[in-house]
Amino acid sequence: MTAEHAAAERSAVEHIVLGAFDTLTGRRSEPLRYAMMDDTPVGALGLAAGAGGLRHLSFVESEDDFVERLLGEHGDVPILRSTLDDVRRALDRYFTGRRLAFDVAVDLDELPPFQRRVLDATARIPAGRVATYTQVANQAGSPRASRAAGNALHNNPVAIIVPCHRVLRADGSLGGYGGGLPIKEWLLTHEGAWPAAL
Amino acid sequence: MTPADRSARAAHRIAFLLAKHGDELARHIRRMVRDDDSAQDILQDTMIRAHRALSRLAAGSNERAWLYRIATNTSLNHLRSQTREREALRRHAAERETAVAPHADGRQERDEARRAELWAHVARLPARQRLALTLRLADELDYEEIARRLGGTAATARANVYQATRKLRLRVREP
Repeated sequence: MTAEHAAAERSAVEHIVLGAFDTLTGRRSEPLRYAMMDDTPVGALGLAAGAGGLRHLSFVESEDDFVERLLGEHGDVPILRSTLDDVRRALDRYFTGRRLAFDVAVDLDELPPFQRRVLDATARIPAGRVATYTQVANQAGSPRASRAAGNALHNNPVAIIVPCHRVLRADGSLGGYGGGLPIKEWLLTHEGAWPAAL
Repeated sequence: MTPADRSARAAHRIAFLLAKHGDELARHIRRMVRDDDSAQDILQDTMIRAHRALSRLAAGSNERAWLYRIATNTSLNHLRSQTREREALRRHAAERETAVAPHADGRQERDEARRAELWAHVARLPARQRLALTLRLADELDYEEIARRLGGTAATARANVYQATRKLRLRVREP
C-alpha cells in the first residue's frame, strides 16, 4: 500500500467513524485523538490532542479509565484512538534523555485565564532548573496567589510537557504533584535538578 | 431508570466502544464491503448489536475479538445478496488492477481477461472461504488475525484459505 493510498484510507475510515459518532451518540464537534504509552519509567500515560494541539497528558491506570475520563470531560466531542506519533516520539526522546526539551504544541485555550497564565509561566522553566510556587504566581501576575498557583499546577492537564514538576516549595521541598510525589522526584532526578538548589 | 437515562447510558457506552475500536472496525468493514456508505451503516449496526449484546460479554473476555466477530457477521449479512456481492468484487478487482503497473506490450489485455476470470471464480466461493482468502492475499494477514476477525480458530482460517486456493487452481486455466 502506497503512502497516498494509506492516507486516503485513513481519512475515509475517520469519516465513517465520525459519522457513526454523530448518528449514534450526538457527538459532532472537532474530534479528540488519543493514544496510550503503556511502559514509560513513570507508568502508563494517556495522551489526547485536538486540532489546536495536545490537551491531555495524564498518568492513568488503564486505557479504559482514560477513555471514560475523556468522554466524561468532553460531552459533545467524538474521541478517536490514534497514534499521536509526534508526541510519543518527543516523550521517548525525553525519557531516554536524548532531548529534555519539548517541541510539542499544547492547547490550553479552554482553561480559566489564571490557570493558563500559571501554566504559561511554568512552560518557560527549562529542564534542569526549578522555580517556587511564589515565583510562578508572580510571573502569572498575582504575587500573593501562590496557593492558587499550586492548585492550578495540580490540575495541569498536560503534565511533563508543561513541567509543573519543576515547581517546588520555597524551602526546596517537593510540595505536591498530581501524579504522586515519587514521579515528581523521578522526573527532577532524570533532569539533574534533584535535590534542588534554589 | 427513565428512558432518557437509558438512552444517555447507551450513547455513552457506544461512544466508549467507538472511541476504542471504531477506527479498526471501520477499516475492517470497509475492506469487506468496499463501499463507504454501506460501511458506515454496518459500523452503526455493529455498535447497536454490540450494545444490545453487551450484557452477554463475559467479564475479562476479549472485547476487541468479540466486536470483530459482530462486524464480520454484520458485513456478511450485508454482502449476502448476490448482486451486492458481485458489485463489491468488481470494485475490488478494479482496485487491484490500478495497483498493478500496465505492461507495454499486448499482455495487458490478456492479463485483464485472466484477472476478471479469476475474480469471477472467487465470487463463487463460499463466503467464509472467499473472505479468508481476501484477508490473506489482499490484506496479508496471518491466520491468527484472520481467525480473530472472522471467528473460529487459526486452523479453520488456514483450512478455508487452503480450500479456496485449491478450488481456484482447479477452476482457473493455466495460460
